[in-house]
Amino acid sequence: MSVAITVGILVTAAVYLMLKPEMLRIVLGFVMLSHAANLLLMASGGVSRREEPFGTHEAASEVADPLPQAFVLTAIVIAFSITIFMLVLAVTGRDEDDDTSTPVAEGADYDADHLPGGLPGPWTPRRPRSRKSKQEGPS
Amino acid sequence: MLLTCVLIVLGTCALSPVLSRLLGRNAGWALALPLLGVAAALAVIGTSEQHVSWMPTLGIGFTLQLDGLSLLFSLLVLVIGAGVLAYSARYLGAGRHTGFYALMTAFAAAMLVLVLADDVVLLFVAWEMTTLCSFLLIGRTGSHARASAVRTLLVTAMGGLALLSAVAVMVVTTGTTRLSVILEHGMWGEGGAATVAVTILLAVAAFTKSAQFPFQAWLPDSMVAITPVSAYLHAAAMVKAGIYLLLRFSPALAGDTLWMSLLVTAGLITALLGAVSALKRTDLKELLAYSTISQLGLLVTMIGVGTEASLTAATAHTLAHALFKAALFMLVGVIDHRTGTRDVRTLAKLRVRMPATVTALAVAALSMAGLPPMLGFVSKEGMLAAFLEVPGPLWVSVVVTAAAAVASVFTFAYAFRMIIGARGGKEGPVVTEDNPFLWIVPALAAAAGLVLGLVPFILDGLVSGAATAAAGAGIDAHLALWHGINLPLTISLAVFAIGTVLVVARMPIDQYLKDRAFPFSALGVVDAIQARTIAIGGRIGAVTGTTSPRRHLAMAVLGVSTIAAVGVVVAPELPPILGESFRAIDLVLLLMVGTAAVAAMRANTRVAAIVVVSVVGFSMTLWFFLLGAADVALTQLLVEILTVVVMVLLLRRLPLDFSTPTRRRKVPAFAIAIAAGLSATVGVWALTGRRELSEAGEFYLTEGPDRTGGANIVNTILVDFRAMDTFGELAVLGIAGISIAVLVRSRLLAPARRVHIDASSPLQDPIENAVFTRTLARALRPAVIIASVLLLLRGHQEPGGGFISALVAGAGIALLYLAAPTDREARIRWPYIAFIGSGILIAVGAGLLGYLEGSFLTPLKVDVFGYSLTTALVFDVGVYMGVLGVIVTALNLLGLPRPHEKPVIDEEILVDPSHREEVST
Repeated sequence: MSVAITVGILVTAAVYLMLKPEMLRIVLGFVMLSHAANLLLMASGGVSRREEPFGTHEAASEVADPLPQAFVLTAIVIAFSITIFMLVLAVTGRDEDDDTSTPVAEGADYDADHLPGGLPGPWTPRRPRSRKSKQEGPS
Repeated sequence: MLLTCVLIVLGTCALSPVLSRLLGRNAGWALALPLLGVAAALAVIGTSEQHVSWMPTLGIGFTLQLDGLSLLFSLLVLVIGAGVLAYSARYLGAGRHTGFYALMTAFAAAMLVLVLADDVVLLFVAWEMTTLCSFLLIGRTGSHARASAVRTLLVTAMGGLALLSAVAVMVVTTGTTRLSVILEHGMWGEGGAATVAVTILLAVAAFTKSAQFPFQAWLPDSMVAITPVSAYLHAAAMVKAGIYLLLRFSPALAGDTLWMSLLVTAGLITALLGAVSALKRTDLKELLAYSTISQLGLLVTMIGVGTEASLTAATAHTLAHALFKAALFMLVGVIDHRTGTRDVRTLAKLRVRMPATVTALAVAALSMAGLPPMLGFVSKEGMLAAFLEVPGPLWVSVVVTAAAAVASVFTFAYAFRMIIGARGGKEGPVVTEDNPFLWIVPALAAAAGLVLGLVPFILDGLVSGAATAAAGAGIDAHLALWHGINLPLTISLAVFAIGTVLVVARMPIDQYLKDRAFPFSALGVVDAIQARTIAIGGRIGAVTGTTSPRRHLAMAVLGVSTIAAVGVVVAPELPPILGESFRAIDLVLLLMVGTAAVAAMRANTRVAAIVVVSVVGFSMTLWFFLLGAADVALTQLLVEILTVVVMVLLLRRLPLDFSTPTRRRKVPAFAIAIAAGLSATVGVWALTGRRELSEAGEFYLTEGPDRTGGANIVNTILVDFRAMDTFGELAVLGIAGISIAVLVRSRLLAPARRVHIDASSPLQDPIENAVFTRTLARALRPAVIIASVLLLLRGHQEPGGGFISALVAGAGIALLYLAAPTDREARIRWPYIAFIGSGILIAVGAGLLGYLEGSFLTPLKVDVFGYSLTTALVFDVGVYMGVLGVIVTALNLLGLPRPHEKPVIDEEILVDPSHREEVST
């Protein structure tokens, strides 16, 4: 139960942060989300058995399931490398690390006449909004 | 034997490019021969079946079965196909026609597999192949045909999806993919939901393929294809696939009310609609297209009626229709070839002197009109006789017969219009007969309709066999020209009489019809549906069609929350939770995580956010310790340290504060987050902790140490049991490291913020202010190295292993880095990319060694001086190198100023031109 609540708290904070415009908050949200996922993996092996899996054991003992642990171990390291990658994205490229949303296909403002051969035409961006909330990086 | 036949046709297809290159357009003659040969072989073989294993694990076989129905359709496909190919040899212009011949033979092969298939999956595959072949054949006519080809594809592919759904339901319900077994399964009589679904889906699939109302639009639209393609599509291939499907499932579904009402309704509407539309056409080819729709409508009606007599009539009429329709299409092609027009109004201005062509056309058209002594008359009499005895209330029989009779009147009328139109006018230029090789094939088909009409009894065997298979009961059919004076004959005579009136009075009728167009065209409806579908798709896509990650994430989270909410409502009773899932000490961690999480959500500056999120990370370390995962906890601890280091390195390139969102933004975000959190909690609570130890876990715990010689079970899973997983993860790590290097080198980093430090502050001098760290680092350096190596070596037995030891080494390097007084001194002069590469290579090497004992990554055990070593350790060294390489990559590339940047604090350091080369090593 306690693990379930912890996962819930982590997911709440993660989703809240990921819904923010700044890339760093999204990265932090991702970190929290990976914590939640790892804990969920641990929970999948059951959390009532909590002894460490070293040496040979009887099946009925109180030892934790080692398989989720192995999964989580590698998951942590992979999440780490992805985190670094996302952090690099936050400081490279575009002028700001927050997103300026450009609606790609807002509404269907095309008709069949413009679709030669009945094939869907490319969606052209309409009303490209540049709503910069706060400049970050070079100005 | 059947497989050989299919392979011969496929081989013909494979050979067609070569023949086309050697013989040019004459390849048509050569390609026709194997098809005729296979047709003869199939006729000789008779009933047989052959099973070839295809996907044994799924129970799907390349199973072929030849029964009466398959034989009739195989003969149509092959003989008409051969005829069309032979005809093409003169119809096409001189030169190579590689694509056309390849597609036509592929079409024939697909149709042959379709009608021979005794496996529903194979049937579906062949069905889709015919769809694709027709699409390509129509589309290759030219750019003007593209729209038509796409419309054809959309309609018929939709039918294909219906068939796929039907196949899926049938396979799930009956547990087999064998068509013959499915047809005898008990599901058909029960009338359950599955049967109803299959009935509707099969009907839709057949209706799209056979151009039945409301899917009829594509067939006239596909008239843009060249004449041989149209002839084949209309006479033997494509549209006949739908008829075949209906006949094939007829034994299971005939007599079913739903099946009957669907087929009879759609069939009669189509028959009337097609016949009236045909009457309005002046283009002979278009007229034939609508005529096909009408005739197919009659066929579908016959199958829908489903009595033995009507199924016999359906098989006979399929044959008759194939003969006269193939002949008519090809003959219209001859006229078109010779005169350059197919329009009766233009033909009226020419003096057509083509006796052979026009005579053959007249004979075929008379068969279409159902006049004696043609085969068309025989089959139409059979149809009327069957319609007069439709089971059920009398009115059904009356309505069906009346509708069929009206359709026949129109058929009679347009058949004679064709004959009159093809004869041309009395004035204008003279057009003489074409090359006999061009008209001989359709003339033969037309003659066959006449001869078989005179001696229909020679078809008794073929039709009886097909009707037996379609009815599922023995039928002994006797086709005859003369049945005596009876009701069908009377109806036929009435049809001829009214038809003659329509022909004689064609001028006023034309005038009348001209003013009364249908309020909308079916093609327009198809276009509208297509445009509307795309518009709806656009609207759905617009919800997430944005570059804003927020909107994407919100949608996904809301979707998952909805699933969770639905799950809570409809959840079955859950098994009880095993053991205690809550211990007092958990409360402490719960509080820590909760507090840090709230703080993370409320943090307004970047530094604060990083600090509180790392508190969460360290709490996670404790969680893992509590849950009995020592290795995981160690890994988490080290990763948390390194994450914080990397974040701090980048922090100086980002602004201090976050933006402050408006309340309007904050509240929905918070609501979505709460929904997600609740869903996660409910999900974890409901779906975990309710079963005993997993079988895999039990295996590792009881057998792991004995099998691997390692006591640290988690580590043995990583390097022994599931080394392939670990290897994949190592590769992902390496790719991430290289991607980071590529990104940093190809794109500019955001500039670092200027730091304003009081010149008199002791913090100003980096050498002095780092003295504590430096001293500590100096003392710790050997300890870190020793710890790292020890952890690596003992990983198999105790907490440690490649990941952890590499992270320890990485943490040591981070410490050295932080202790360095200047950026230049902090640089680590290691070829880190080579580190990553060698790590992966070492792991591959260790894996290849495994081949000595069987398979990739199998660990080998070697005894050295009494110590038992395994190649798993070598593999772990590879992991170590890879992880360390990624860490050093990140520290070096992100911590150091870029070559184009001025250093922030140590102004005296100039840009070193050699820097770039070092980065690249």
